[in-house]
Amino acid sequence: MSESQKRILDMLANKKISVDEAYRLLSVLQPEGSASESAPRAGTSAKTKAKYLRVTVVPGPEHKDDPDAELVNVRVPMSLVRSGMKFTSLIPPEARDKVTGALHEKGIDFDMRNLKPEDLEELIEALSELEVNVVSAKEVVKVFVE
Amino acid sequence: MKRPPLFLRVKIQEKKALPGCWLPLFVLVPLALALLIVLSPLILVAYIIVRLRGRHKKLPTVLTATLGVLCSWRRMMAACDLFCSTTGLRVDVSGPDERVHISVI
Repeated sequence: MSESQKRILDMLANKKISVDEAYRLLSVLQPEGSASESAPRAGTSAKTKAKYLRVTVVPGPEHKDDPDAELVNVRVPMSLVRSGMKFTSLIPPEARDKVTGALHEKGIDFDMRNLKPEDLEELIEALSELEVNVVSAKEVVKVFVE
Repeated sequence: MKRPPLFLRVKIQEKKALPGCWLPLFVLVPLALALLIVLSPLILVAYIIVRLRGRHKKLPTVLTATLGVLCSWRRMMAACDLFCSTTGLRVDVSGPDERVHISVI
């Protein structure tokens, strides 16, 4: 079991994250567990520090030549993600309560008060191994860290 | 210490190409800060009045958060850190007839 997996399980045991969130994070980390069996992926070695969170939307295989296709390319510096997450802990209590209430109304049971600086670092570290690929006939959405 | 962003580049291109707009943040930010320092006593007084009257719960979340940030040195520093971290941010969205490009340099 890797360090990241242990941390996720610790966070679950301390009720900092839900079972679903832990499952998703563990699923993301799954390739890491089998890293010793397979060759490491190019450019994603554990030691390289992630610099950007990328979100791209490109036309799917059936719409590659579609002139109406939309392209999205977003590059968010990881330092901005880190600062933004730290900033959430400094949100005034009145605003934080409103945000928590609004999230609860949407069915998201998440309280920002539970986020601690050490948890943020763990989350960001876990985020550096994030890779999401959603492929449909119309478009391909990729979320990854580089 | 992080370097603050120097330029904000915005390019909105519809059917015909429009020139991109380069906003010199290194000029605008000191001006905004100077304005903020001048207005800070008024903001503080407004915040205290709103709190004393108990109306802060009725304010929109964004305004509550902004006032809270402006009235705390720690939060101001965090906001500056957040601003400085935007260097390198790039958003590029293109559709059939238009294209929007925003980048912070």
